[in-house]
Amino acid sequence: MKTVLIVSCLLLPLSVSAAISVVVHPSNQTSLTKEDLTRLYTGKLSSFADGSSAVPVNLADSVPLRSEFDQKALGRSSSQVKAFWSKLVFTGKGTPPKEVTSDSEVLALVANNPNIIGYVSADAVSDNVKVVLTLE
Amino acid sequence: MRKAILGSLPGMLLVLPLTVSADVNISGFATVAGGRVLSGDGVEEFGLPPTFLANYPQVGVYEEEWSFKPDSRIGLQVSADLTEGLSVTGQVVARGADDFDARFEWAYLSYQLNDTWTLQAGKKRLPLYYYSDFFDVGYAYLWMRPPADNYTWQIFNYTGINALFNTQLGSWDVSGNLYTGREDDKENKLLSQFFGTNPVREIWKDIIGGVISFNRDWLDIRLTYMTYINERYRTINGVVERVDWDGELERRGKFAGISVNIDYNNLVILTELNQLDLDGGKFDTYMVSLGYRLNNITPYISYADFDSDGEMHNTTSIGLRYDFHSSAAFKLQYDDVEDNGVDGLMVAGDSKSVTFGVDLVF
Repeated sequence: MKTVLIVSCLLLPLSVSAAISVVVHPSNQTSLTKEDLTRLYTGKLSSFADGSSAVPVNLADSVPLRSEFDQKALGRSSSQVKAFWSKLVFTGKGTPPKEVTSDSEVLALVANNPNIIGYVSADAVSDNVKVVLTLE
Repeated sequence: MRKAILGSLPGMLLVLPLTVSADVNISGFATVAGGRVLSGDGVEEFGLPPTFLANYPQVGVYEEEWSFKPDSRIGLQVSADLTEGLSVTGQVVARGADDFDARFEWAYLSYQLNDTWTLQAGKKRLPLYYYSDFFDVGYAYLWMRPPADNYTWQIFNYTGINALFNTQLGSWDVSGNLYTGREDDKENKLLSQFFGTNPVREIWKDIIGGVISFNRDWLDIRLTYMTYINERYRTINGVVERVDWDGELERRGKFAGISVNIDYNNLVILTELNQLDLDGGKFDTYMVSLGYRLNNITPYISYADFDSDGEMHNTTSIGLRYDFHSSAAFKLQYDDVEDNGVDGLMVAGDSKSVTFGVDLVF
């Protein structure tokens, strides 16, 4: 388990100041505003503009891109985001997005399910997903 | 913060059909804190030494020697997602103020009706004040603890039904809940051990309440209302007596409050204003806190006040929160309590105290 984590860390790009691409399944025709994205990742929205269900996937704390996403998409530090979710989790009002530990896992999940939305660093985007929003 | 375990824990086998594979989440929180009273008056007429009552309902009390019990606690939450919107959650909390005697504080079923409504039934925290239902989760708020002068009520759980909603009105996110139920506390800790020496059974019944929150960018506004009927029994020399108030065996409480919170850039402003009306007697509480985020460190000041006929006290606090780890925060706080209660209605006298500790979530 530990070796898997170390290997996946090594596979991450060393630079983390790259743009972040928000990605969905290629068949997803939805448009997405930054406000929608914030709502999706704070449990306030659970569907795309066309009404179909939206399931956000997050990167784990251990991935550097995560804190950049928290800052750029939610305007909060990772600690603030965790404090926000703690309040909801322990009062039965919400469940944070599932977490995975690499860009490639995000890409695989998004490519296989039209309901999933995720984010990866812009240079990791593959042809199997569609970019709906770019966070500079 | 969460660990997903696919499969069934041994205990879950009792309640789940063997063919169902539930998604079980285990999460938790903990606070390890220590502190002491630096100087204080105590209350001579009660024979009370210098004391800081940091937590009213749990009777978390600091005295002039270092203690790590009053604010320390650990909570473990297990939630099983039974799919199709149904889930079951249990939360066990062990507190230093209770000699770490672990108890179920939450145990409820949850059923998501649609994107807007979720129904819950079971044992939950009473969501009276802004911080009431996550009072134990120190990591989720700024201070060492929500201001003690405001969070003074003896009942903090209820068993009943709760309907949660979550929707959007223009650019406002609107959420809240409606709840009903009762609580029968066979030996209420605050009334039996701090405000008295005889065992008191405290009943809050016909509880009906609601909360609505409006949230937009940096602004958060919360309104709360709750009404209940109070019934009380006291055991003196082994004999149970029903308590009456001017000849009445029951009294009605009506609680109302508003909270406005601002989190703008690095500035944090937290406020609460609440009133409990107990058959005409008014109990007013309010608090104002100001904090400023400097990277990982947030210094803050706070003032909280309690005012009723005869019982009057306030606390001025200064402290800091340091987010030194992705799942943990260090806190240091100084509290100056002023007790202006009239004879017989003092709480714990004036005191100056220091507390520090670490809050974490997992």
